Amino acid sequence: MNPEYAIEVRDVAKCFKLAPQGGRTLKSLIVDRARNWRHWRVSRDFWALREVDFHVVRGETLGIIGANGAGKSTLLSLLAGTMTPTTGSVVCRGTVSSLLELGAGFHPDLTGRENVYLWGAILGLSRQWMRQRFDAIVAFAEMTEFIDQPVKHYSSGMYVRLGFAVAVEVDPDILIVDEVLAVGDAVFQRKCLERMARFRKDGKTLLVVSHDLQTIRSVSDRILLLDGGRITGLGRPESVLHTYERCWRKQFCAEQAREWGSGEAAIEDVAFLDETGKAVDCIEAGAALRVRLTLRAACSIQRPVIGFSISDIDGRVLHGSNTQMGNRQIDELATGKTVVDLVLRRVNLGAARYLFSFSVHSEDHRKQYHRVDNAFPLTIDNPAPFEGPVPIESDWEWETL
Amino acid sequence: MLNNYFSPWSEIWRRRELVALLAVRNLKIRYKNATLGFVWSLLGPLFLIVIYAVFLGILRFAIDLHILIVGIIAWHYLSTCTHDSLHAVMGNANLVRKTAFPRLILPLSMVLANTINFLLSGLVLAAFLMLRGVVFGVEIIWLPAILLTHLAFCLGISCFISAINVFFRDSEHLVSVALMAWFFLTPVIYPVSLVLDRDLPSLVTYAYFANPMTGIVSAYRTALLGEPFPFFRTALFSFAIAWLVLPLGICFFQRLQVRFADEL
Repeated sequence: MNPEYAIEVRDVAKCFKLAPQGGRTLKSLIVDRARNWRHWRVSRDFWALREVDFHVVRGETLGIIGANGAGKSTLLSLLAGTMTPTTGSVVCRGTVSSLLELGAGFHPDLTGRENVYLWGAILGLSRQWMRQRFDAIVAFAEMTEFIDQPVKHYSSGMYVRLGFAVAVEVDPDILIVDEVLAVGDAVFQRKCLERMARFRKDGKTLLVVSHDLQTIRSVSDRILLLDGGRITGLGRPESVLHTYERCWRKQFCAEQAREWGSGEAAIEDVAFLDETGKAVDCIEAGAALRVRLTLRAACSIQRPVIGFSISDIDGRVLHGSNTQMGNRQIDELATGKTVVDLVLRRVNLGAARYLFSFSVHSEDHRKQYHRVDNAFPLTIDNPAPFEGPVPIESDWEWETL
Repeated sequence: MLNNYFSPWSEIWRRRELVALLAVRNLKIRYKNATLGFVWSLLGPLFLIVIYAVFLGILRFAIDLHILIVGIIAWHYLSTCTHDSLHAVMGNANLVRKTAFPRLILPLSMVLANTINFLLSGLVLAAFLMLRGVVFGVEIIWLPAILLTHLAFCLGISCFISAINVFFRDSEHLVSVALMAWFFLTPVIYPVSLVLDRDLPSLVTYAYFANPMTGIVSAYRTALLGEPFPFFRTALFSFAIAWLVLPLGICFFQRLQVRFADEL
């Protein structure tokens, strides 16, 4: 119990009871139990969070990342106090304002003004205090004109703006921001980011959840990575994001890989070899690379074409070529095993992970014997710092006029 | 158990502004900001009164119009509370999922909104009775106690129903059926003397008065119309049960409320 901690989460686990199909009704409670009294099971357990233990120091900004279903929203609900942990304890020191789904608590039939006051009361603020803040809220949301209209007539952007304005302007000690920057136009987004920066400067504690890694990197002091309900990383943004990207990419590559073909020929094996002939999965930029393909043909294939391409992680093709374009005519792929080497003299690309695709098809491209897309990852190290995949030597010159 | 009953009250008192705002919101939404909104909410009981007055007349079941009106208005309060409590928590699922505040505020503010409505119809009723030449007797001093008991009982019942409806979505059907049976078990469209004059064994009388609404409705008639009061002891029994339902309902609600956010 350190009073310096704004948030203390101690060994928290949260279990949900999954209702059997069809939901739970009084009828099923009575009828199903009577029908199946010997072995009825009302629900299954689902552990959304396990062994979650961390704290946030006052004035710190903690980013929370993780794939969908990793337990982020459950964790935020526990912090906001709407759910109670199954085991462990959550302590928040100070007023908490949460932006979980902006404007979700607004009632469509009430006017913007009424909703603002109601929301203030829900956050536990006095009417008088809200009255002082009211003009600032309306100004921030840029909606002086519509504040006395029922919110059901608002556009979704206005909804979100008002929600954000209320949550921020009520001046909480701890602000929880859940994936809200994805909405609103660019101007308002920047305004929100600026407001959050001011919030940090005032020494308030901030919790940010987002899938936008760029934003989260720039606002967070520390990042918490959740995976399958457990903390798999907690620390400086760079190192946690590195872990996250690595594990996310592994999964992403597996999802991107595609394979099809008629089956007359098959790409059995692909090996990346460096200059010494050693198998590698990572090379230095500018080095030579030999890719050894092992093909097996079920029957003799006349004039086959073998192709390859390199894509970045987003699936953009950076380079592609084949034996036809390279003026290398293969007359026949004989029945049985054939080894083909693709020689890349200088692989000069920016530091990243790239995906190789290979294909064996007929001369007229009509028949695809075997094609494997994005299945072979290769990491390239580049000591030169620059953005993007293409290295271009650049320099700067200047003179004072 | 008792802790469940006492713990939320200091927090609720601190949040009394929220209780008031939510109650006002309930009323505003019901009246849809219409000027004549309250008049519309009188239509329901008025309709019931006309129907029963006409049909009981056709059936040659003589009931004094005043007795009928008092019964229906008193019953209407319970019946709106019961119906609204089905949605007291469910209808605010967004608030429950997204924000932390004592959940007891939801049924409490709903009952308060209905109480305001009830008091307004009570004023209309009083004006009507006076127009009809009814002179209120000394029994009217009982009115505050009866009102308070009625309120406590409605709150207790609402706590039960609003919590159950979160977990069992089909409780709505059960509630409407039960409410109908309850309506006839309560002396709403007949005077309580109809039952008491039959010389029933005392156990049956007590069972009849175990329904707090029996005591409450007949007490209203005594206070407003000077109807002869049923046995003091049975009425007291009725009231005691009403006051027992309140803490039980709140404890029940408090036990279940921790799981609301998981279920919604």
